[in-house]
Amino acid sequence: MALQINEDCISCDVCVAECPNEAIAEGDPAFVIDPAKCTECKGHYDTPQCQDVCPVDAIVPLAA
Amino acid sequence: MDACAKQREYSAKDYKSDVKPIWCPGCGDFSVLAAITRALASMQLAPENVAVVSGIGCSSRIPAYTSVYGFHGVHGRALPVATGLKIARPDLTVLVTGGDGDGFSIGGNHFLHACRRNVDLTYIVMDNQVYGMTKGQASPTTAPDWEGSKLTPEGSGVNPFHPLVVALAAGANFIARCSSSDPNNVADIITQAIRHPGFSLVQVLSPCVTFRPEQQEWKHIVRTAVVDVTDDAARAARRLMTDDGFNVGKVLYKGSRPAYQPEPKGGVAVAELEADFAL
Repeated sequence: MALQINEDCISCDVCVAECPNEAIAEGDPAFVIDPAKCTECKGHYDTPQCQDVCPVDAIVPLAA
Repeated sequence: MDACAKQREYSAKDYKSDVKPIWCPGCGDFSVLAAITRALASMQLAPENVAVVSGIGCSSRIPAYTSVYGFHGVHGRALPVATGLKIARPDLTVLVTGGDGDGFSIGGNHFLHACRRNVDLTYIVMDNQVYGMTKGQASPTTAPDWEGSKLTPEGSGVNPFHPLVVALAAGANFIARCSSSDPNNVADIITQAIRHPGFSLVQVLSPCVTFRPEQQEWKHIVRTAVVDVTDDAARAARRLMTDDGFNVGKVLYKGSRPAYQPEPKGGVAVAELEADFAL
């Protein structure tokens, strides 16, 4: 259970500070979520915080 | 054939510079920067054949963030600089970037005449209805009842002007509106704008997350316009006058006026002009 950032990412840096697990790192060309750290915010918030703030909806569930 | 002679392929990243944007996290302008680089990559334009010209403002920082030729100019004067550049170097693809403050207030007069001249430019305006760089004052596109600035605590009381209608009336040859929440659509519209001859205006609704945080809701408010492009200015005007500003994602008007061409003979000699003023 984790999220990933797709190629629509505009590298705007808004998601990094929102993550309670510090799972998001700056990447090139798109930012990257560490699936080992991502909990989809379970236990912290009702909804994944990065998805809520992403201005271009580039954060999606990690394909199994 | 030598393998080196093969044309290299450009990716969006090739049009980005090494300078990291200093915009606020979440700013819509990141999306427009990404869209510009994706548009240039989709057209496979060589970076040395493209120039981005801007004035002053947050969005006017874009030339620094691209690897193509650029000129970060004087406040409100991006369009005259770009006009001169395009006339001197018609082989270049010239983009102009800026915000609603730079383009529609201090640069308002240049905006009118750039539309009228119809030089082959693509003008991308990131409209966030606020002066963000100077910490949040009302701009020409701010609603009259916006109370977010201490300078206008009860709202400006002044109606915003409608840049697309003004552009249409002034003679712009291509008019589109899109939203930074969909950078791929913005890239598509910019590509069409570059391809269309004459002066193209692309208004991008681009939220200011710091001074207009409520604009983050725009991504839920905008809707894809349900109109097809028209070449009928009267029809386009009627559509634009009656919409609420959130119909996005489509080219709204494509005119057929030929782009301005400079005087083929190079004009008259200065001495000849001076002779007219001799006493």
